[in-house]
Amino acid sequence: MNKKSSIIRHARLWPGYLLLTLWVVFTVVLVGWIFCASLATTAEIFKGNATKFLSGLHFENYVRAWKTQNVSVFFANSLLYACVSTFLILVISMPAAYVLSRLKFRGNKLIQTSMATAMGVPLVMIILPLFGIVTRMGLLSTNLSTRLLLIFLNTGINIPYTIIFLLSFFSTISSSYEEAAIIDGCTREKAFWKIMIPLAQSGIITVSVFNFITVWNEYFMSLIFASGQEVRPVAVGLYSMINSMRYTGDWSGLFASVVLVFLPTFILYVLLSNRIIAGITQGGVKG
Amino acid sequence: MHRNKQLIIKFLTPALIMFVLVFIYPLLRTLVMSFFQVENITSSAGTWHFTGIENYRRLLSTKLFHSALINLFKIWFFGGVVVMTLALLFAVILNSGIKGKNFYRNMIYMPYTISAVAMASMWLQYVYNTKYGLLTTMFSKLGMEKLAAIAWTDPTHKFWAMFIAYCFGMVGYHMVIFSSGIEKIPSEYYDASLIDGCGAIKKFCHITWPLLRGVLKTNLTMWSITSVGFFVWAQMFTSELAETSTITPVVYLYIQIFGAANAVTDRNAGLGAAIGVVTGVLVILTFLLINAAVKDDDFEL
Repeated sequence: MNKKSSIIRHARLWPGYLLLTLWVVFTVVLVGWIFCASLATTAEIFKGNATKFLSGLHFENYVRAWKTQNVSVFFANSLLYACVSTFLILVISMPAAYVLSRLKFRGNKLIQTSMATAMGVPLVMIILPLFGIVTRMGLLSTNLSTRLLLIFLNTGINIPYTIIFLLSFFSTISSSYEEAAIIDGCTREKAFWKIMIPLAQSGIITVSVFNFITVWNEYFMSLIFASGQEVRPVAVGLYSMINSMRYTGDWSGLFASVVLVFLPTFILYVLLSNRIIAGITQGGVKG
Repeated sequence: MHRNKQLIIKFLTPALIMFVLVFIYPLLRTLVMSFFQVENITSSAGTWHFTGIENYRRLLSTKLFHSALINLFKIWFFGGVVVMTLALLFAVILNSGIKGKNFYRNMIYMPYTISAVAMASMWLQYVYNTKYGLLTTMFSKLGMEKLAAIAWTDPTHKFWAMFIAYCFGMVGYHMVIFSSGIEKIPSEYYDASLIDGCGAIKKFCHITWPLLRGVLKTNLTMWSITSVGFFVWAQMFTSELAETSTITPVVYLYIQIFGAANAVTDRNAGLGAAIGVVTGVLVILTFLLINAAVKDDDFEL
């Protein structure tokens, strides 16, 4: 009786299954085709044979993209920006979020509200003065200073979100462990590093993954600030590559580049998808 | 409490310095700049000429900026309706007791984690491609030659082609937010409705929907914030940036200040600042609108 009713219940859900399956199939076809095309030749792609591999797998597309199309440079830049920024965001946000969540003082609420409001500020409202100032300071004249600037900006714009996220994560953790340590003569600062950080590890990892993906995919700021090929991250690099591809006609190389650009965040997502999705709603909302 | 004070200062100062440098100061400067005629984006404040609301007046009387605002409205409004409807529908299906809930959820969210440039390339070079693309191949196999012949990225179809590609990537994100909202609804409510003999639609109308208002508000706010910054997709779908069919305020600002020399008649950075302020005002207005339209005071999840 129970089994029968469960089968009937599932049978009644078929429109739901159908809809979700169609959507997922489309996603798989979309991403899957790009993977296939990245391993085919341009001639095969244009004949509509991208998924048949009539002439075998062409891994040399990746080699070409990596070497001659500068993907290696863009890749290294994005890796540098994403890793360093993610680290700096944490180092700056964690202590701030800690005192905001644990201590009462004047201005606490105001700072929290300001941070939350900043998450809604469109980038175009801050980009012009920033560009004007750094150009006047000559910061865009060398590769090193441009790199440092991009790291600084990527760090700065993601701090409010990270503080709000960690703030609500910290407040779910009982303060009794720290209180006990403080009674035992431990300073609050030490209690933060030795007790709070280890306890909040999962939240810290989640927010870092978010920040890594955000910085890796960042586009608008880099488009404006990173004018030279050598300092471009993957998103802007891919865009310039697509434009030049119109002339070179190396489509299989283009698809290989597209794959290389999204592969790191894709792998990160496949490995950590449950944690990432739980994190979206756990603390604050990622914009 | 003296020791705490020191700690507060030590722990907060770096974050506050960054906040002032990256948010407060640029925001104020943009606001001030929007009331000045500024020859060049790099000109020092001493060379600015105060012109009052002239920049705003000019902006609002420019045809191309009107197109930008109209396109932005279309993306925000129609996109909002489409994305919220699909996201909510998917979230309800996910929580209706189907098997493989996590698999479906993770797969539908996945496009959101991929760089917009890469996603747009996939749509442009595969789905919409007229030689070997998905739509062309599919429609010609089905014998619908008319549909197969459509050039999806020509000027007449371009906007909606871009619209669909953009919305596709956004559904997963908003679905996850709706879904976690539904998960928080106490199951006793649904049990009670089962006893009362409610169907799926009645259940949705009387329990899920009323209790999701707060989550809807979050979703709409996030949607509005993302919409206002609409840029990458427009840039990917047009070779000429100053194209009426896909231009948005941010694209307009980018042309005005940074690029496409032929499209820029005068280089007034103050005009760019005014665009920045207009987008900020739009965010505030939609925020107020959403708060007025969606009341969530009856139940707190």
